[in-house]
Amino acid sequence: MNIGLSHFLFVSGMLFAIGFFGVLLRRNVLVIFMCLELMLTASILGLVSFSRYNATEGEFLWSGNVFVLFIIAIAASEVAVGLAIMVALWRRRQSVDVANHAELKN
Amino acid sequence: MSVPELLITILLSPLAAAGLIWLFGRKNHNLAAGLSVLAAGVSMVCGLILLYSVWDGTVVEGMRVEWLSLGALQISLGFLLNPVSALMLGVVTFVGFWIHVFSLGYMQGDAGKGRFFGGLSIFMFSMLGIVLADNLFMIFIFWELVGFSSYMLIGHYLTEEAAAASKKAFIVNRVGDFGLLLGIIYTYWNFGTTDFGALEQAIGGHPGAVSTVVGLLLFCGVLGKSAQMPLHVWLPDAMAGPTPISALIHAATMVAAGVFLLARLAFVFTPEALEVIAWVGTITAVCAAIWAFAQRDIKKILAYSTLSQLGYMVAAFGFGTLYALDHGSSAGHTAAAFGVGAAMFHLTTHAFFKALMFLGSGSVIHACHHEQDIFKMGGLLKKMPITGITFGIGVLAIAGVPLLSGFYSKDAILYLARETNTIAFYLLTFTALLTATYMGRLFFIAFWGKAKSEHAEHAHESPMTMWLPLVVLAVLSIIGGYTVGGPFTIYPSSILGVLGDSVPELHGSDHTLFIIISLVAATIGLLGAYLFYGAGATEDRLEQRMRPLWALSKSRFYFDEIYGWYVARIQDRVADFIDFMDAFLIGGVAVRGSAGITGLFGLLARSFHTGNAGSYVWWFFIGLLTIWGFASGFLTNLF
Repeated sequence: MNIGLSHFLFVSGMLFAIGFFGVLLRRNVLVIFMCLELMLTASILGLVSFSRYNATEGEFLWSGNVFVLFIIAIAASEVAVGLAIMVALWRRRQSVDVANHAELKN
Repeated sequence: MSVPELLITILLSPLAAAGLIWLFGRKNHNLAAGLSVLAAGVSMVCGLILLYSVWDGTVVEGMRVEWLSLGALQISLGFLLNPVSALMLGVVTFVGFWIHVFSLGYMQGDAGKGRFFGGLSIFMFSMLGIVLADNLFMIFIFWELVGFSSYMLIGHYLTEEAAAASKKAFIVNRVGDFGLLLGIIYTYWNFGTTDFGALEQAIGGHPGAVSTVVGLLLFCGVLGKSAQMPLHVWLPDAMAGPTPISALIHAATMVAAGVFLLARLAFVFTPEALEVIAWVGTITAVCAAIWAFAQRDIKKILAYSTLSQLGYMVAAFGFGTLYALDHGSSAGHTAAAFGVGAAMFHLTTHAFFKALMFLGSGSVIHACHHEQDIFKMGGLLKKMPITGITFGIGVLAIAGVPLLSGFYSKDAILYLARETNTIAFYLLTFTALLTATYMGRLFFIAFWGKAKSEHAEHAHESPMTMWLPLVVLAVLSIIGGYTVGGPFTIYPSSILGVLGDSVPELHGSDHTLFIIISLVAATIGLLGAYLFYGAGATEDRLEQRMRPLWALSKSRFYFDEIYGWYVARIQDRVADFIDFMDAFLIGGVAVRGSAGITGLFGLLARSFHTGNAGSYVWWFFIGLLTIWGFASGFLTNLF
């Protein structure tokens, strides 16, 4: 069996869907956060596969792979900020359930 | 200094003083007074230098500054100096300066002295702007400015009465000014310019080029500012202001601005318009003289006298210009500007003797601790000799006693009236008689006999800053009647164009006749007042013995009542209706309605904000699907 672009894209799509519906349906902030990371990973996978697919024989294509580095960097900073927020939220409210936090209403 | 430099100095020094007073003088009263008097002095000195040595009488026009440009409409500010404005300039700066000096004494210790002098300076600036303006728009700007300064100064004492009087003056003037503005717009529409020089060339000598309506609309401004019937009601009330203000603004200068405007625009008026103007003036003169008899307040009497004399000036302009139109072209006659000459001549002499009498009354009021009822004065001639004698000179001058200034100017007017309209001549002569009588009444009751109140008993002569202006103005009230060209004249030859050739000179039998008329009117009036009222009377004999006559005079022909009824019954109802429309249509439907609709949309949009992060993700998901639907053409094909 020859593994081609479509397989990679399928995995990427599945990962994204899992992440997306996780954000949509789960109520624990930590889980939502992990699902966000899953979506980022899905896009990274897509970028790498397209980069590989579009590369010509004997010449490496940099552009998609470089993007990946940016996304990882951004995801890392996001984790730093997001986890800090969650810790602060837990300290103040003793709850990480999104349904309990509706102060932005209206 | 050259003419332009002098003109700019004259105009701007009061403005500079007003600005400095506004910045530094509101608390520091002496600084304010000093600045204001200094500015008035600079204006007067520059004005006198200009008239007596620098300027030779040729028309100076120009120095224009572009002010506003709206498409084809160009409004500029500029100067026009001709004999008429030069004479007015002299009167305003000279009388203005001496009234400033008088105010130094009169306003001593007043809580609002700084404000008062600031107002005085801003008034001088506005008035000089009217005098020097070279086009109608500029005149209108300064016209409103004098209205504002008048409003501010009438209300100086911050009492109920003063507040009501200042509002009344402002509103009544607005009525007249609306007509004036329409006239200006009409003029601009007709001739494409409001420059006096250009207008005179456009109309020049053939009055058929301009309609009567323009003249009458412009005359509306005069009705308001010069307090002619039927817009005269504000002037007597304006006496609620400080007495120097009554002298400067409501006797000598501002109320004369209307007459000055007539003189500036003499070429605009058609014979029909002149007829109306002349009759308005005549009727105002007669009626105001009648009303003066029922007044007990010294300033009110002088106010009605001012109304009456303003009527004289307006009538003089009307009849004189009519006369000039009839006779101007005949050979060897210099009648072309008789109307302007006679009106401006009376304006000048009136400025002297009426300012004198108002300042005299100010001196009396000051000495009697703000007692203004003449029946509570009496015997002031002995206690305040300088005030008494100078006031007496003023009375003689306004009564038209020969050799005093009022005689000459009044004679010129009566002569022009006789040559044009006999009935008006009789009415004006009757007014002269009435004038002598009510002025005699005022003088004999207030200054002769014995003191009739505690305050009058302890009255003593005012300080020098107050009596010096009285003496100066008294001298001018005597010699102010000798016009240019005569042996004793005080006027420079540069204003020959208005006081020299333009004032009718009487010869032969006319001369004798008018001396007799004046002498008889003055003598009967003054003697009659003395015999009827008696020196230092305590009661108004007219009120006691001829009650109907007194009541007629007291009624002032019900003008105030009619206006009161009109405002309360008709105007207020209209205002109520407009208020309802405003509250309902504009406030209710337009403003609140559109706000309500926006609010409803807001309510809808708000319901999406549940505050739950999960729901936001759902909205995001739906939005994403919608965008995808449109981008892929799926939704577009669907609908």
